[in-house]
Amino acid sequence: MASKNETPEYKVKMSEAPVEIKNLVKTYVDDRGRPTFTAVKDISLHIENGEFMVLVGPSGCGKSTTLRMVAGLEKVTSGTISIGDRVVNDLEPKDRGIAMVFQNYALYPHMTIFNNMAFGLQLAKKKKDFIQDTVGRTAKALGLDKMLERKPQALSGGQRQRVALGRAIVRHPQVFLFDEPLSNLDAKMRVQMRAEISKLHAQLGNTMIYVTHDQVEAMTMGDRICVMRDGLIMQVADPLTLYRQPNNLFVAGFIGGPPMNLLKGKVERREGGLTFIEDGDKDKGALVVPLKGSAENAAAKLVNKNVVFGIRPEHITNEPTDGTYVPVKSSVEIAEPMGSESLVYMKAGTGNLIARIHGEHLFTLGEPITVQLNMDKATLFDAETEQVVR
Amino acid sequence: MTPARKLLLKKILAHSLLIAFVVIVLSPFAMVVTASFRKGNFAPSKILLQPQELSLEHWKYVLGIPYKEVINPTTGETRTIQAGSPPLVWLWNSIKVSGAATIGIILLSGTAAYAFSRIRFTFRRPLLTGLLILQMFPAVLMLVAYHTILDDVGQTVRSLGLNTHPGLILVYLGGISTNIWMIKGYFDTIPASMEESARIDGASHFQAFLRVLLPMSLPIFAVVFILSFIFFMTEYPIASVVLTNTDTYTLAVGAYSFLGEQEKLWGRFAALAVLSGVPITVIFLLCQKFVIGGLVSGGVKE
Repeated sequence: MASKNETPEYKVKMSEAPVEIKNLVKTYVDDRGRPTFTAVKDISLHIENGEFMVLVGPSGCGKSTTLRMVAGLEKVTSGTISIGDRVVNDLEPKDRGIAMVFQNYALYPHMTIFNNMAFGLQLAKKKKDFIQDTVGRTAKALGLDKMLERKPQALSGGQRQRVALGRAIVRHPQVFLFDEPLSNLDAKMRVQMRAEISKLHAQLGNTMIYVTHDQVEAMTMGDRICVMRDGLIMQVADPLTLYRQPNNLFVAGFIGGPPMNLLKGKVERREGGLTFIEDGDKDKGALVVPLKGSAENAAAKLVNKNVVFGIRPEHITNEPTDGTYVPVKSSVEIAEPMGSESLVYMKAGTGNLIARIHGEHLFTLGEPITVQLNMDKATLFDAETEQVVR
Repeated sequence: MTPARKLLLKKILAHSLLIAFVVIVLSPFAMVVTASFRKGNFAPSKILLQPQELSLEHWKYVLGIPYKEVINPTTGETRTIQAGSPPLVWLWNSIKVSGAATIGIILLSGTAAYAFSRIRFTFRRPLLTGLLILQMFPAVLMLVAYHTILDDVGQTVRSLGLNTHPGLILVYLGGISTNIWMIKGYFDTIPASMEESARIDGASHFQAFLRVLLPMSLPIFAVVFILSFIFFMTEYPIASVVLTNTDTYTLAVGAYSFLGEQEKLWGRFAALAVLSGVPITVIFLLCQKFVIGGLVSGGVKE
């Protein structure tokens, strides 16, 4: 592991390398060349020079395929990929100025750690002294200098992934590509490596593209995050914007943990004000919530329409407030005390509401609770288009 | 019966069964070994010999060492016998042919298996199935065809015709389909990300194959090497049709030539049979260390 005090000398800065993806499509074909499945459906994405871009989404959303096309491991069906000012569509992976870290490390098991890291430089016919020097320095910075003569088998998961990282670093790429590099590590190691990769980015300043299915990784590491689903980009924004202003239901449900409470219902005009009425039996306690604040402005465009009402667990409190807060009476169904706060699953309306309640408090099962929903933070979505209405 | 006695009885039963099995498996081998050290020419029949029955004459003959044989017991007249075409030449022929054919098989089936495992091309599936179906017909069925083909080829290319070792090797190289399947199966278990990572490191397809996939696949290549080598060392039907000149005989053909219509020289046959096991054993011992699991572990995590 790199010692915290000394600055690792990885390399000198490379030329500018923004990545431009234009109308990218990937359709897989079978042995005979017949199209079978379209994994990426016409996406465009601009990644700034030096930016840490995270591609995130559930499995099968096309994020890895996109990364592999940037790497040159998959052929592009149509569209263009540029790195720097070059279109790289037809370039070999080695000529694209990229390095990639794989989920399964993909270390060469029959080679020593030194040779694993030096393989690319050896193939490029670099001088022996240069290889020795580069690999040596990188290994030192990564805390691998004591195990250069060992084989991957003798290393722990975290060390192996660090070797994979080192192998990428010694190639001096313009763009780093990460394909779910932390998925195979245990939880503790993952947090540690997450910080190390972020640190690496800060030190090198390279453009990095990072694929993950873990929204926590995406939020904690990305300068910007590209949320994908079914081969389409759902939203590209910085972490806070994604959290505050999701463009659609999918992003709202995907980002944040526990996820946003999403209730199906209708907006109606009642007693002069706009009210959200949850679908379902009124006798069974379907929620009726008067809309205030920003939610009210949005609701004005959705009167008598099917909507989805979204509110994050963090925006539900049990402290008495006024203004844009709306009280809801309910009872505790499950409570998960976490110390300074509790996740409370409440029986409210026809389903559950999850609230993140601050304070050191133990809730008991069935305990009646009145919570306040912060209407300024609530989000309304058109149920048909699944898009946000602001 | 106490549980302890029951267990003992079970053990005795199991062991006697296993020992009986070992005896059944080993006794033919023991009989051949005995026959090779037995005076005179008797078909393998005994396992233990009387001291006066012991003789090294067959081994001497096989190894090309001259020895004296008594032809007239009453006068004590002897004659010196030495093999005309020493069986050691046949052994060397066998090793040459088997070695070359095995290396050829490894090269052909290794590269073919790589293509079948890693490259998507038209008719990939039908070709794979076709290979398997072809292999279902015994090679013996094609003996006549082999003979005709080699005869024809020999008219233009002398060194590939009948009675030549390259010709025989050429025929042997046809039997690669099971090996392709076996190696392809092994390649399929190696994650594609290994070569992808090599390609990003700057390796060409061939370099990725040679420097990453091949070293990781040593166990399967060792298995194919051993199996092919044993097969070619002991192969008789094709070799007997292709090779008709005593000097070109392989060990299997040569050994069989001792069992003529009139005279069956069992002793020499037995000695030669035992001798043929020697190179096989050597090859096996050399390759054995590669046939181990865990050679590829540690590179990837699934």
